[in-house]
Amino acid sequence: MQRIGLLMRFIVVAVVTHGAAESVAAQVPDTATREAALEQRQIEKVDTLHPYVPGKTEALFNRAEDILVNGVPRWHPFFESADYGGGFTLGVGYAHHVSPYNMLDVRGSYTILGYKRIEAELTAPHLFHRRGSLSLLGGWREATQAAFYGFGMDTSLDNRTDFDFQQPYGSATLTLWPTRRLLMLRGGAELSQWSQRSAEGSSFPSVEHVYTPATLPGLGTKTTYLHSQGTVGLDWRTSPGYTRRGGFYGVTLHDYADKDERFGFRRVDYEAIQHVPILREAWVISLRAIARTTYNKDDQQVPFFLLPYVGSGSTMRGFTSHRFRDQNGLTLQAEWRIMANRFMDTAVFYDTGKVAARRADLDLHGLKSDYGFGVRLHGPFATPLRVEVARSPEGTRLVVSTTPIF
Amino acid sequence: MSRSSFVSLARRASGLMLVVGALGMCGLAVSTNGLRFYPDDPIAREPESQDASKAQPYFIGSLYEMTTNLFVTAGYKPSGTRAQNINTIDEVPNSNWFTNRIGTTPVTVEEIVRGTNRGAPPDPSRWILTREKTSGSHPGFTARDAKGQTWFLEFDPSYFAEGATGAVAVATKIFWALGYNQVETFLTTFDPARVDIDPEATLRRPSGARTRFTRDDMNAILEHVARRPDGTYRIVAGRLLRGKILGGFQYDGTRPDDPNDVVPHEHRRELRALRVFGAWTNLTDLKASNTLDTLITENGRTVVKHYLQDVGSTFGMCNDLHEWDLSYEHFIQGNTTRKRLFSFGFALSPWQTVDYVEYPSVGKFEGDVFDPGKWRPQTPTTAYLEMRDDDAFWAARRVAAFSDELIRAAVHTGEYSDANAETYLGDVLIKRRDKVLRTYLTAVNPIVNPRLNSNGRLTFENAAFAAGVASGAAAYRAAWFRFDNGTGETQPLAETQSATTTMEAPRDLPTAAGSFVAVDVSVESEAHPAWRRPIRTHFRREGQGWTLVGLERVPESLSQGRVTHTQTR
Repeated sequence: MQRIGLLMRFIVVAVVTHGAAESVAAQVPDTATREAALEQRQIEKVDTLHPYVPGKTEALFNRAEDILVNGVPRWHPFFESADYGGGFTLGVGYAHHVSPYNMLDVRGSYTILGYKRIEAELTAPHLFHRRGSLSLLGGWREATQAAFYGFGMDTSLDNRTDFDFQQPYGSATLTLWPTRRLLMLRGGAELSQWSQRSAEGSSFPSVEHVYTPATLPGLGTKTTYLHSQGTVGLDWRTSPGYTRRGGFYGVTLHDYADKDERFGFRRVDYEAIQHVPILREAWVISLRAIARTTYNKDDQQVPFFLLPYVGSGSTMRGFTSHRFRDQNGLTLQAEWRIMANRFMDTAVFYDTGKVAARRADLDLHGLKSDYGFGVRLHGPFATPLRVEVARSPEGTRLVVSTTPIF
Repeated sequence: MSRSSFVSLARRASGLMLVVGALGMCGLAVSTNGLRFYPDDPIAREPESQDASKAQPYFIGSLYEMTTNLFVTAGYKPSGTRAQNINTIDEVPNSNWFTNRIGTTPVTVEEIVRGTNRGAPPDPSRWILTREKTSGSHPGFTARDAKGQTWFLEFDPSYFAEGATGAVAVATKIFWALGYNQVETFLTTFDPARVDIDPEATLRRPSGARTRFTRDDMNAILEHVARRPDGTYRIVAGRLLRGKILGGFQYDGTRPDDPNDVVPHEHRRELRALRVFGAWTNLTDLKASNTLDTLITENGRTVVKHYLQDVGSTFGMCNDLHEWDLSYEHFIQGNTTRKRLFSFGFALSPWQTVDYVEYPSVGKFEGDVFDPGKWRPQTPTTAYLEMRDDDAFWAARRVAAFSDELIRAAVHTGEYSDANAETYLGDVLIKRRDKVLRTYLTAVNPIVNPRLNSNGRLTFENAAFAAGVASGAAAYRAAWFRFDNGTGETQPLAETQSATTTMEAPRDLPTAAGSFVAVDVSVESEAHPAWRRPIRTHFRREGQGWTLVGLERVPESLSQGRVTHTQTR
């Protein structure tokens, strides 16, 4: 019996130790059980433990997320130029919160044609229990080659003249949302001075070489305005920066009071935007109409540089900036927007419009038109990049913008 | 020295010699062979043997995660690797990630209704707000109840009255039953008239500074949430987890500061299986910030426990009423983007034509057009892409264990005031369950629960037939082998077949304790040619019977380089 017992012990020990030794070959040394084998891997990891360290790219993204979520932008790009037509723009801004919500943003930009803009804006977005926001803006801008082609719709590209204008400005704008949604009221005042210089470096004649102060109101003047305005609007878009549904309907009254009472006038802007989603917003038909009408004050005149215009990256995109100017302007735009994915839309668009000396002529006769195709990169509330190719009888234009069309 | 002492010494010496002799025998084996099965296979629990107390919180940015998932992970080629945290019989052992519940043990109606909840619900007679809500997309607060316990309160957006809170309540029960660690959650009430603000409470402002939390801050949130006619608000309250909060876990790699986290997360079956569970419940928001790791001390050892913390993006709940493409496409998906671009949107996507019966408390959730194989979360994760057919089958068996009664019981915990909405949600979950089963239980050989008794009779079940998602004639074939656990070599014994799920084993099966047999079992079914691919089982002789120690649903030798469940990008 004892021998049998010894033999059994031999077998047991042999089997057990066989397993233990086998596990060496099974990639996990010195273990006799699955549990021990797994534990061995954990033991081996102990020597390699280290805190998680985000890579440079991840850290950069985390910083960007912090800015997006918590709104602490500090240094930021700024792509708004002094005026339409300045060409490729580069700029930078520095934002600093002066209180938990209120922010001071100092920014400047420079374009390939030498347009300059520098300004500081204090925004207070949380007034009246989140029913109002205030903007205080002060700055200076210069457009070195602003275009003027003459009055009306019958001008040609060969009529182009250029002028340089400079404008220091300071304004205060208060926006109210009495019900926190839908109804929007806005009022503001701006003090600014417009002065002109000869357009140097331009390939087109300077405006004073073609026109005289008698033929072109405001030419060569230095005009100081107190510009006050008020808007009433209904806005039920998701966001002005990006939306696939909703609309905006508003009227804005402007009063330009010239200190010298020579070029004072009033202007009324009518704007209607409607987005019609189709096929569950995979398509959106987006429509906009803008009419700008001016009214003379007594015997004062509207200066040529403040006349309503059509032609720009946000009005008629197939035409050069400020292509048509006159006392009144009308722009009609239609877009067929196609969702590519959550962050990209494409659009086929058609713009048409006109300017007219008389309000009664602001009809659908004699309209100029363009059409084109665009791609937009967007988030839920903003459109940081819009690239469009627009074709008009006067040529093909590329539009690159960091703002939505409407 | 007495005689007895001498005998004792002699025995010890002989014992020592036996050990030495045995070790010598083993030394030969070490150089050439490896054990396929350990004596403790199949294990029931994944060990967490090492102290993880040095694990530190870290932040996984959602922007980075989303961007990498959409533009890097989306191009990831699945490795076809078998899940690495499963035991030898193709099951997921319990761990700090997962606990086997439904599908392994019966879950009763009472159990699913209780879910993970063990403590008392909050006392809503007084809420003291302590800070803003720290995770999730729906509005909320962190607060203490009248008993001083900390809770995370979540409201319903105004357009999803009862929806967001109901989804959390219901989905928490479902995912608890499925085996995931869940947060204790209760539906309760928030009455602004019975709210105080902790004087120490702060809120992060756009400036980055934290300043005192005010009643106006509270009102700013309440303006956007669904309010009851009596001025109170329905909320779901999640209990503060015990332990140190470490942040979310990622769906790939391992925590570098957790010694017990040795299986890359993309190879954890329970994380891969979220592709199936996600499709069933429409859990579209699979991101790290919806998960949570905590550091806890259990049995004297500090370990990391992993929670699927926020399962509220289920059913039709999302961030906006107009997220029509949700669950049909990732946020950015190459093939659908190209299709729409080049067709100017004329090539319609399925989500553009689906008919929804929309209840605010359910959202866009339906079961008629739903196709589990085409379901998409917001962004792909590596674990999602690594899911194989055997992972999906494993998951589907758990879904199959949800009876209609259990589903309706779970849905009832959503306390929906609209009985039609409750019925509809239950109906859709049942429809989607059936589609999940039809898709995944039939995709591979569905033989389960193989048993070899002492009389040499092999019995098993056909999971697809049992679930009622397949029918028709089927013949079963078994190829029998002797199996050498040391060398891994097999020797053919015989082949047997049967028209039923019972068949006799060959007569010459080994009888020695510790011997092994391998049995490859396949199914002949005209409707399901995929079932011809056998599952490989291993049995170990123990005493007078046989114990199942191995099961491969997609045996590596047969499945080399073949992963049938892939997705179009």
